[in-house]
Amino acid sequence: MHFPHPGPQEAPGRAPALLLRGIDKSFDGHRALDGAGFRLDWGEVHALVGENGAGKSTIMNVATAVYAADAGEVIVDGRDVPLRGPADAMAAGLGMVHQHFRLVGSFTVAENVALSLRGAGQKVSVAEAARLLAARAAELGFRIDPAARVDELSIAERQRAEILKVLLLGAGTLILDEPTAVLTADEAQALLTLVRQLARRGRAVVLITHKLREVAAYSDRITVMRQGRTVLDAAPAEGLAMDEVARLAVGEMPAAAPRIAARPGVPLLSIEGLSAHRGDGSRALDGLALELAEGEVLGIAGVGGNGQPELVDVLSGLRRPGGGTIRLGGADLLTASPAARRDAGLRVVPADRFDSAMAPGLSLAENLALTGVASGRFGGRWLVDRRKMRREAERLIADHEVRGGGPATPASLLSGGNAQKLLLAREVSDGARLLVAHSPSRGLDLRATRAVHGAIAEGVARGMACLLISEDLEEIMSLSTRVCVINNGRLSAPMPASEVTPERLGALLVGHA
Amino acid sequence: MLDGALLVRRQRVPLRLSAASYFGGLLFGLALAALILVQLGVPTAALWQEFVVQTFLTSQGLGQTVTAMIPLVLVGLGTALALRVQFWNIGIEGQLWLGAMAATWVSILDLGPEPLRLPLILALSMLAGALWIALPLALKLLWDVSEVISTLLLGSIAFFWVQHQLFGAWRDGKTGFPTSPTLDAAERLPLLGWGQVHAGLWLALAAVLLAAMVIGVTRLGFYARAVGANRRAARAAGLPVLMTVAVFVLGSGALCGLAGAVIVTGTEFRLSQSIGAGYLFSGIIIAYLARSNPLAVLVVSFLLGGLYTAGGVLKVFYGISEAMVLLVQGVVLLSVLCAQLFADYRVVARRPA
Repeated sequence: MHFPHPGPQEAPGRAPALLLRGIDKSFDGHRALDGAGFRLDWGEVHALVGENGAGKSTIMNVATAVYAADAGEVIVDGRDVPLRGPADAMAAGLGMVHQHFRLVGSFTVAENVALSLRGAGQKVSVAEAARLLAARAAELGFRIDPAARVDELSIAERQRAEILKVLLLGAGTLILDEPTAVLTADEAQALLTLVRQLARRGRAVVLITHKLREVAAYSDRITVMRQGRTVLDAAPAEGLAMDEVARLAVGEMPAAAPRIAARPGVPLLSIEGLSAHRGDGSRALDGLALELAEGEVLGIAGVGGNGQPELVDVLSGLRRPGGGTIRLGGADLLTASPAARRDAGLRVVPADRFDSAMAPGLSLAENLALTGVASGRFGGRWLVDRRKMRREAERLIADHEVRGGGPATPASLLSGGNAQKLLLAREVSDGARLLVAHSPSRGLDLRATRAVHGAIAEGVARGMACLLISEDLEEIMSLSTRVCVINNGRLSAPMPASEVTPERLGALLVGHA
Repeated sequence: MLDGALLVRRQRVPLRLSAASYFGGLLFGLALAALILVQLGVPTAALWQEFVVQTFLTSQGLGQTVTAMIPLVLVGLGTALALRVQFWNIGIEGQLWLGAMAATWVSILDLGPEPLRLPLILALSMLAGALWIALPLALKLLWDVSEVISTLLLGSIAFFWVQHQLFGAWRDGKTGFPTSPTLDAAERLPLLGWGQVHAGLWLALAAVLLAAMVIGVTRLGFYARAVGANRRAARAAGLPVLMTVAVFVLGSGALCGLAGAVIVTGTEFRLSQSIGAGYLFSGIIIAYLARSNPLAVLVVSFLLGGLYTAGGVLKVFYGISEAMVLLVQGVVLLSVLCAQLFADYRVVARRPA
């Protein structure tokens, strides 16, 4: 009798590092993956590209058994072994570096590594872990202090610690979820170089990203996903037209917001000698000064940690300034309450919308009404008019093409892009004279970024002024009429957008101009 | 078995499912309780009679359940109000003691004309409860002192104060026991002619209605929702956060104070050391199970009142020890709490590999 059986893998070379076929995955009826596939070969850097919600992270979470697929097969290094959880995946050599690092903040780097290794069944002391870390880091050509506490490391250092941890756990395949999203341009380049080096030594690397252009130069192959399907399967990156890839990923694309013309209007905002301290007593803002006129966008570029969040909090009234003046259209706002600031026309889009702008547990209608109820826009002195709230929400949701929910949907269920569109709809509304926007497109895909930028441009066209604080130079360049750089709590002299070059900005960013 | 299944969090929990899981948990808990009681020698036939008929279906039993429910509604509502603005009132019993002491004080001094005595008692008890929580509130708002600790400790202080009064100035001269003298007729809440059920019922129902309205349709209720959901966002949006927190927390203290007065003037007619025991745990359980919803507080308090009434019957007629009664009640409540898991998560069988 003859039993057909899978023979040894056909030469040449090894079986793929990771092969996923026909993967289906639904969440509460929402189909996140629809027969998606992915093939990763040894020795390559593979970019997995797609918009937010395309299914990139989901398919990798299926590969590493964080999620169980509804259908389809996962084959790791040619072996069809069922993976019953992330620990199994790790043991099979699949290491995933998530967007939110899996590190204990109050532990040192070495303690974190020791913890993970022991979790994987290896009896390793913290001292041994420190030695392993130092050796592996030296091999890869960078430094890391194994005795440093993780919560005292920069984001880039944490990422490196996480990558080292995953490598020490024996990962042959490294999956990085949006690794460059939190990094500066220089840090991103260093990371991508490192990743390439790992691949050249025989590992396999997946870069999940929606910023194709950033990783394209470092990738050997590209897979594109859209709406839960694989639309471009492991195409060699060389000779691939990037515009074509972007079109595949996005589908129909909304037009970019037209450049905002510099039309000097009436002076609106004047800040002088503004100072503020962080919670630990260090100086965050140090005599910061700026002038802003109606219809203007002042872009404030800068490396993170130079006082940006403190500036936003001082302006929105959530942090007490140390001194200085803030005048908005004649009103003195330095110590004004948040309510008085809103009355004066100040609107804020903070970097983390669920930290100080929206409540994840409230419905969309309630979030939209949050700023209007106190002024009596939704009901009288005592009662609230929930019908009016709902109608207003329906209107804004339709006008701003917010998808994924109605007025009663909790805000936490919206994707980042849609939640941000909604927040802009609320903030750039009647009576907005000055918008303070901090990294408004961070984490958003191209489509949502364009919608957010469009909303800002529209407000500015109506005469609103905007203070755009961002670490994303592309964002600064595409919206600003003037640009300056924040460094150690101080601003450089602003220059007209037409005179800005990446070189000049780069020199200012590192503080040597 | 657990290895073969996965828990998948539901994005949204339908109301029907939530209700069904509570009910399922209740049935499971009652079944488990029945097993334990049978083991302890309670005849199987008596279970139905005692747990259901005598507690909920006879006029006398229902009256007892409703009487037990009245202060539970007030403390449950008090906890729920504070929770709405993320304030953990662990000092329910302290505010309850203060309310009970205010009532006793008015009664002993015979303050005010007789027709106004009862309204004065009720008003002062609410004031006393609110004042007792005002200190933790101020500490929290000014210096971010954890209210869990401050309200809890003030609860102990209140109890020692009660003991100080009962063993001292307020001791009943007639009996010599550490209880206050019994209240005059004019100081008692009128009976409604149904067992021991008294006019405190109307107070509790009015409090539920008022709270439901404030939370549901007023601006203040909307502020509280926003503050509870994201305090920083509420502040940045220009909402009066401090005022909202203060109103809800002081209201919480006032309701717990009122509960103390209702116990003294409605059922006990004197202050003793035992009248406030257990209300802290009851209040938290009620607010949690009711998810801080005032109408649900009423329902949960009613069921809990029944559970306590049944416990009393078990103790008196079947000689079940206090410890076993608490254990049985705990089994029922724990089952209901755990059952919520099945509403929040979907249990999915793992695909055979």
